[in-house]
Amino acid sequence: MLIITRRPGEKIILGDDVVLTVMEVSGQTVRLGIEAPKSLPIYREEIWAAVKSENEAAAQADTALPKLPKHKPS
Amino acid sequence: MSLTIESTRFGRIEVAPDTVIEFPHGLIGFDSHRFTLVAREEDATFLWLQSLDDPALAIPVTDPRRFFGDFEAEIATEERDRLGLGDLNETAVYVTVRASDQIEDFTANLRAPIVISDGRGHQVINQAADAPLRAPLFGELTAAGRAA
Repeated sequence: MLIITRRPGEKIILGDDVVLTVMEVSGQTVRLGIEAPKSLPIYREEIWAAVKSENEAAAQADTALPKLPKHKPS
Repeated sequence: MSLTIESTRFGRIEVAPDTVIEFPHGLIGFDSHRFTLVAREEDATFLWLQSLDDPALAIPVTDPRRFFGDFEAEIATEERDRLGLGDLNETAVYVTVRASDQIEDFTANLRAPIVISDGRGHQVINQAADAPLRAPLFGELTAAGRAA
């Protein structure tokens, strides 16, 4: 892994069109600004991993799902 | 011209061009960018998001408002702009369903709903504080079962 030290306000350029800015450092928290093309999805890693795992689990469903009457929220 | 796929679950499916849904970013965890919605019966509670790229990939989804009347996805403004999403009230919203042997154990992922409009789909992150990854779909059944 490439490790780079940056100060608040400093940036990192990834490729031609992704700019990562260290906005603020406060205790254990770092705020990052990300400028990237719209074609590039951006996720917090733990949410990405959790959703990936849910999607994979959902895709394992048995083809015969129960048939339910139209369900109206009460 | 409609597209024909041999899906693993449902056999041969004819997909009309206007029912193809492009997912520019795919679904998180899957390398597939074209899907269609398959309903196995009229007004089905569960639909299947069938991949057109991978015949074996199909994910059950449902309209969250059928189960959670007050469901509303909160999408960060920057994310909405990035994806070119309009008014979510005029957009079809689905949530993935995690099935189980026991119906009481069925859950839906309210954290990452799928929004579809104009033939394009995105799985987005719901910023609402109370949006669980696994919301029980039949909580009231479970509660009734306990009471019995």
